[in-house]
Amino acid sequence: MSLLDVREASKNFGSLAAVRGVSLSVRAGELRAVIGPNGAGKTTFFNLITGAFRPTSGSIHLDGRDITAVAAWRRVTLGMARTFQITEIFPELTLAENLRISFEVASGLRLRPWISRATAAKLHRDVEEMLDLAGLAAKAGRLVGELSHGDQRAAEIAMALALRPRLLLLDEPTAGMGEQETYDVAQLIRRLHRDRNLTIVLIEHDMRVVFHLADRIAVLDQGSLIADGTPAEIAANAAVQAAYLGKPNDAGAA
Amino acid sequence: MKESGRTHPAVLVAIWVLLLLAPYWLGLVGGYTALGARVLVLGLAAMSLNFLLGFTGVLSFGHAAWFGLGAYGTGLALKWVAASTPLALLLGTLLGGALGAVLGAMLVRRRGIYFAMVTIAYGQVFYYIAYRWNALTGGDDGLRGFSRQPLEIGPWHIDIAANGVAFYYFVLACFAAAVALMALLLRSPFGHSLLAIRENERRARFLGIPVEFHIWIAFALSCVFISFAGGLYALLNNFADPNNLHYSLSGDLVIMAVLGGMRRFWGPLLGAAVFVVLQDYVSSLTTNWMSFIGLLFVAVVLFFPRGLLGIARRRSLA
Amino acid sequence: MIQLLLFNVTNGLIIGAFYVLMALGLSLILNLSGVINFAHGGFLVLGGYLAYTLTPFLGYWGALIVAPLLTAVLGVVIEQVLIRRLYGRDPLYSLLMTFGLAFIFEDATRYVWGAQGLPVTIPAFLGRPVSPSLFFITYYRLFMVVVAAVAVTLLFLLLRYSRVGVRIRAGTLDLETVSTLGVNVGGLRALNFALGIFLAGLSGVLAGGQLGLDPTMGSGLLMPSFIAIIVGGVGSLPGTLVGGLLIGIASGVTAVFFPSASEAVMYVLMALVLLARPRGLMGEEGLMT
Repeated sequence: MSLLDVREASKNFGSLAAVRGVSLSVRAGELRAVIGPNGAGKTTFFNLITGAFRPTSGSIHLDGRDITAVAAWRRVTLGMARTFQITEIFPELTLAENLRISFEVASGLRLRPWISRATAAKLHRDVEEMLDLAGLAAKAGRLVGELSHGDQRAAEIAMALALRPRLLLLDEPTAGMGEQETYDVAQLIRRLHRDRNLTIVLIEHDMRVVFHLADRIAVLDQGSLIADGTPAEIAANAAVQAAYLGKPNDAGAA
Repeated sequence: MKESGRTHPAVLVAIWVLLLLAPYWLGLVGGYTALGARVLVLGLAAMSLNFLLGFTGVLSFGHAAWFGLGAYGTGLALKWVAASTPLALLLGTLLGGALGAVLGAMLVRRRGIYFAMVTIAYGQVFYYIAYRWNALTGGDDGLRGFSRQPLEIGPWHIDIAANGVAFYYFVLACFAAAVALMALLLRSPFGHSLLAIRENERRARFLGIPVEFHIWIAFALSCVFISFAGGLYALLNNFADPNNLHYSLSGDLVIMAVLGGMRRFWGPLLGAAVFVVLQDYVSSLTTNWMSFIGLLFVAVVLFFPRGLLGIARRRSLA
Repeated sequence: MIQLLLFNVTNGLIIGAFYVLMALGLSLILNLSGVINFAHGGFLVLGGYLAYTLTPFLGYWGALIVAPLLTAVLGVVIEQVLIRRLYGRDPLYSLLMTFGLAFIFEDATRYVWGAQGLPVTIPAFLGRPVSPSLFFITYYRLFMVVVAAVAVTLLFLLLRYSRVGVRIRAGTLDLETVSTLGVNVGGLRALNFALGIFLAGLSGVLAGGQLGLDPTMGSGLLMPSFIAIIVGGVGSLPGTLVGGLLIGIASGVTAVFFPSASEAVMYVLMALVLLARPRGLMGEEGLMT
């Protein structure tokens, strides 16, 4: 059974149809990439899944449960965590504080006016472990806003992981990164997928990363799903090539 | 949390020593005990506002309304309910806190400049009521006919009514209790969730924090704290008047917070001290004190946007 | 009774016209630059006093035009020197800045022109009643409504059809896109600020002729203008227009039946509107949240 099930989801902004009747099913443990040219509606599609927007029509299901009407923050508590195309972090707090808050919320403590020493110690250990995993242990006390772009991206992924998600959604995790940073992030994602068997949906522009990591690839163009298959199938797909090479006439024919 | 933003213990000790000894040194520098009490009360008010402004990132520009409600509530309770200072203070705090919680629920979806505007307008509703409801509030002349009562705690009788120094220590005890509670909250996971909202609302929401709900609680708490300060203000003056609710007082409280440093826990207290002392001094010198206060606003925005305590760049918050 | 009602409705309409002029100026600046201009009332007062000073030299009609223009010029100077640098920063700072400016304006007016009220002389024929049965409606009252109506119409025509107006409206919706299209956003904001201040100055001159001048009159008009904007819906100029007229007329009508509640009614109106439509009558989802 699939962990995430999007059924015929559409989103209109006024007269603009950003996402048109897209259906997508992601199995537990799968790493699914979503690709498509700029303006294809990938981020809007993510926003529908995570609850930033309500779909104009269609429905979203997590683990068989219809979550179309569930608020964004509650979807997180149901096991859905995400990162953003433009890094969203708490810039004027330290890296450790960023992670600490994530763990506090994930542990259901967000309304607690105080916590026991034992709980505080547990949170502290969680933060240290996550810093190690993300390779950021040396920068724990730095303000996140002052870290390098690559470290900020990694910090955001670590914050999402701190939520102990069942489904992790990454919006262009390598955006704006250099060669080495891209490689590091790709390795991190692979570890999460392989070692922790985490289900991941990934929007990505870097095709090497996509074809290297993904189990299956979904292709969006002008709001519609034009292909969905294994990397090999997608590489051979004429419609996908047309969309990427920018020949709209051919795309219609394919 | 690493708590690297905590106030240095030595500074903390210095603050409390200064406050504890205020009745003894204020006279030496040309001040007086009631001025010290005024700084404490307005400082507490500015810190309460800053709970929202500096630590939740929500721009309330009508907070004088809750301050004034606390003042009127306390005064009315002393006048009509019972001659008990603690009870009156409690009732005043509840009045402002409860109305703040109700109105806050209607405001939490607004943000930024719109939030500021709606809070001003709502705040003026209470100003208007205090101004017009002569029979209850004394209207423009203000609420008179009540006075703070001596404390009766078990066998002890503490005369805070006539003895200014005793009253100062009463105010200081109230201040300490409120401030300790505020500090505790800000250090807790709940307080951290407020920092998260201030820093990045979207990230906070996608961390699983119901942002509006948390802002609502922060707003209500802030109203409770500032109503408490308002109640103390009524006790200090044995008087409450509509200006206690007017938006220009809201502006004064905001400038105190910004002047001292709104990212620092103790910033608003410093801001209040500077503001109150300057106002006291300047209004005794010139009738053009409005221009002076106006210039202070302009100067703070241009030269100290991070406040006096923010000049030294901080390493961390919380 | 009918006469009393008519009198108060007219009164409400006139008050509403002031609110509209004032609130439209505030709205223009708020929508494009994200600044709540607390000093708006100060500019209004300044307009009135400048007219008072200029009338002996230019006559009433000259002052009616020149005083608001001078006010607008001063507005641009203040915008360029003090407010411009706060665009894009936390709205807290522009709020505090204009808050302080309002204090300075009021004190400066008192310093220059004195604390006591001053009369503004209007042409004699405007002071006469329209007819013996409608003795309470002077030509001046009609004149104020007409001038306000003309100013508002011109403003909306300007925003609708002129290049600058179209840019201002576009900038209100999406300033970034407008700036990438090569529009000088700084200049646009300054011009827009001038437009808003001109309206404040104009209402100052008009109000002076009816009520006389007083350094504190500006702050009294500020809160109703805020409420007009909130009732109409932040971000919508037509909303501001409707909101201003609505609270003006509502307080006029209330004055007939419950004179003491004529001010309260605008607060009640605001609460009712916000309960029914949290974004105001014509406020839109997504704008200025």
